[in-house]
Amino acid sequence: MSIEVKNITKVFGTYTALNDVSLEIKTGELVALLGPSGSGKTTLLRVIAGLEHPDQGSIVFHGNETTHIHTSERNVGFVFQHYALFRHMTVFENVAFGLRVRPNSTRPPEAQIVERVMKLLKLVQLEMLAKRYPSQISGGQRQRVALARALAVEPQVLLLDEPFGALDAKVRKELRTWLRRLHDEISVTTVLVTHDQEEALEVADRVVVMNRAKIEQIGTPEEVYMHPASPFIYDFLGNVNLFHGRVSDGKLIIGNMALSLPGTHQPMENAKVFIRPHALDLAHSANGVDQLKARIMHINPAGPLVRVELKSESSDVIQVELSQERYQELAIKRGDEVYVTPRQLKIFTDDYAI
Amino acid sequence: MLLKERSILPGFTLTLGFTLVYLSLIVLIPLSAIFLKTTQGTWEHFWGTITSPRVIASYKLSFVASFIAASINLVFGLLVAWVLVRYSFPGKRLIDSLVDLPFALPTAVAGIALTALYAPNGWIGKPMASLGIKTAFSPLGIVIALTFIGLPFVVRTVQPVLQDLELETEEAAASLGANRFQTFWRVILPSIGPALLTGFALAFARALGEYGSVVFISGNMPMKTEIIPLLIITKLEQYDYTGATAIAVVTLVISFLMLLIINLLQWWTARLKTR
Amino acid sequence: MQGGLAQRAKSGNTRTLATTEPWFVRWLLISAALLFLGFFLFLPLAIVFVEAFNKGFAAYFQSFNDPDAWSAIQLTLTAAAIAVPLNLVFGVAASWCIAKFNFIGKSVLLTLIDLPFSVSPVISGLIYVLLFGLQGWMGPWLSEHNFKVIFAVPGIVLATIFVTFPFVARELIPLMEAQGKEEEEAGLVLGASGWQVFTRITLPNIKWGLLYGVILCNARAMGEFGAVSVVSGHIRGHTNTMPLHIEILYNEYNFVAAFAVASLLALLALVTLAAKSLVEWRAQRLQDTEEGVK
Repeated sequence: MSIEVKNITKVFGTYTALNDVSLEIKTGELVALLGPSGSGKTTLLRVIAGLEHPDQGSIVFHGNETTHIHTSERNVGFVFQHYALFRHMTVFENVAFGLRVRPNSTRPPEAQIVERVMKLLKLVQLEMLAKRYPSQISGGQRQRVALARALAVEPQVLLLDEPFGALDAKVRKELRTWLRRLHDEISVTTVLVTHDQEEALEVADRVVVMNRAKIEQIGTPEEVYMHPASPFIYDFLGNVNLFHGRVSDGKLIIGNMALSLPGTHQPMENAKVFIRPHALDLAHSANGVDQLKARIMHINPAGPLVRVELKSESSDVIQVELSQERYQELAIKRGDEVYVTPRQLKIFTDDYAI
Repeated sequence: MLLKERSILPGFTLTLGFTLVYLSLIVLIPLSAIFLKTTQGTWEHFWGTITSPRVIASYKLSFVASFIAASINLVFGLLVAWVLVRYSFPGKRLIDSLVDLPFALPTAVAGIALTALYAPNGWIGKPMASLGIKTAFSPLGIVIALTFIGLPFVVRTVQPVLQDLELETEEAAASLGANRFQTFWRVILPSIGPALLTGFALAFARALGEYGSVVFISGNMPMKTEIIPLLIITKLEQYDYTGATAIAVVTLVISFLMLLIINLLQWWTARLKTR
Repeated sequence: MQGGLAQRAKSGNTRTLATTEPWFVRWLLISAALLFLGFFLFLPLAIVFVEAFNKGFAAYFQSFNDPDAWSAIQLTLTAAAIAVPLNLVFGVAASWCIAKFNFIGKSVLLTLIDLPFSVSPVISGLIYVLLFGLQGWMGPWLSEHNFKVIFAVPGIVLATIFVTFPFVARELIPLMEAQGKEEEEAGLVLGASGWQVFTRITLPNIKWGLLYGVILCNARAMGEFGAVSVVSGHIRGHTNTMPLHIEILYNEYNFVAAFAVASLLALLALVTLAAKSLVEWRAQRLQDTEEGVK
């Protein structure tokens, strides 16, 4: 079921949480709302769920105007950040709740409820804990109960509010993969709110980057990571080195480095240059003016990529990621003076981007 | 609408409406009856009543006795709270529950029990009499009764604050060379200060209005051991409604003032906690 | 607003060498505290039972052969049976709108609810006399319709309702505020109606606080003296509650009977304290298990 968010504005007192936000979500998609705290992503999710009323704008579910429909009638599944499990009910009763509160006309017979609940518990691999209470199970297990509970009513839309936020890193990674597989299996339109960019990039079909009550960019994980539309996104997603320089005579000048830029460019005074750590290479000797001289301060060889931290002559800190082979090739050590070559970069100025 | 923001939870109008109606019927309208009745009389009559010697004597008595009782409870309440929080000894749980006895025991029962204890032939009254101290039927008896009913207030207000005190601040003080008394005086006491004050205010306010536990032990001698609530009842029995109301109004105003002060103290305590 | 359950302290942290007093100081303090409590708590409690059984068991039970004593007991129970449920409903309604919603004037409302707590019992009775007494506002109307409020049972019930007004609300409000509204929201999203959310989600969560408030409310309702004294007229056999009956007996120097009836109320007080401790213990255990698995 598709969701259309049309020009939603939401204000809390003097604080604007959402400022004319519009978005389209296709049926069966898994979309991530990604952004720092205060960006408005949770508010947007709650507006879609019907837990908040927008001040302006509308929500449309599959062509039907939904803005004024009460949340209990929208048939959405919502998973709260802190699970909001019913503390005095068992795991089974929690999951069965949505089915048990249905009016007599639509309520399935008890036997069918039991069957459905047990099937769901099996899906989330918790059938052994059916009789336990929320206080007796771990955080990761509670999260899966919350998910099963939301799925029990066969919602048209699944909304998850920072579902893995309160869990430790390993559990988070496992649940992430598990969620993706689950989505592939049941293909319900899903919207996920998160501030963890790794999570969003790994799990989602499309990523919506939000900042300060507005949408910055919508795109596939690759689009958003490789071709960020604004400095904010560049900085927020993934590690990045930021340099200040200027453009003149078709060259980018940072410190002592002068890089020729392909094509023609206007001169720029305050250029912000973004370079990803893996887009930089190191060399022991200079070969012209396309390089930045720097000294190696720290090497972290543990991991799939080797992280090297350097300090340039103008005291900029530079982060470089090298593959293990390249690292072995270069045979660098702490204290060495090397030359840094950018292979791919992005320049932003106040007016436009290169 | 009264609501600051629209909520999806149901029942606001229903519950608020019922709350306000019930509140008005049971509390607000009856309370306003007192103030309205007062406006019916003349100012001279009002002033004359509340400044008559007998009334002034009872104000003095009630205030002084309540103050002394609350002060006793301040010191010993802190002691009891300290002992319950910091030490363990046999029967501690039982005693902890019993601290609430003055809350749970009907005031009339407390009244006759205390009188029996402190009367000239009572368990405590007798030995005190042989020392020449009159306990029952004297202001001292009143103070004793008021101490009884105020006992839980300081203890229960200070206990949670003592519980939540960070161990590390005391350890820091000790590592800096303070002995236990200094740590108590300079570190612990200031932290529980607001709670102590709140407990004192609560005990004081309760003592001011107390009737049942005091009326038996006081002997109700005008000008000597007549507390304000008793004076009001005496006036009522003499059908002096205006007189009774006048005294009641003054007492109410003081009660509301105390309520305000206590709320401010509690708000202050809460603010200190969240800092 | 105080909340006995919401404020109930957790078990103390382990003390280290640097933060305990020398043993003799400790025992001195403990003894002083116990001495104080002994004088002010144990002795009064003890003497109630000692005096009641002063003339033996026979005399004790004889005190209850009195029909006036029985009507006093009945009246006390009736007043409590009406006041407690009414204040219970009020407490639940008030804490629902205060804890789950944000509105202007909330703090004023909270203070108003606390008012009966700060008013002297005698004045609590006086206000109803002024309202419903012969000389009161509604006095003439009432005597026209031959309906007695003051010096009759309705007045006693009203005064009892007034003095026990805040008890349940004071317990529930901090409790419900601490529990937040996420579970209710979750229930609504899952399709439950408002009533279903309240009965299936909220009520079970507040049951201990509710019980606690009811216990306190009942204890005060049955033991109220000052307010009832003013409105009752002290008519033996008709408008005397147990505390008033005790007063009459005592003033007639009928000590054994007075203390015998008092012993019933003292027993009620002890039961109240025990029930209170039980509820607190259960609530604390619940909180501990919730915090234990985090």
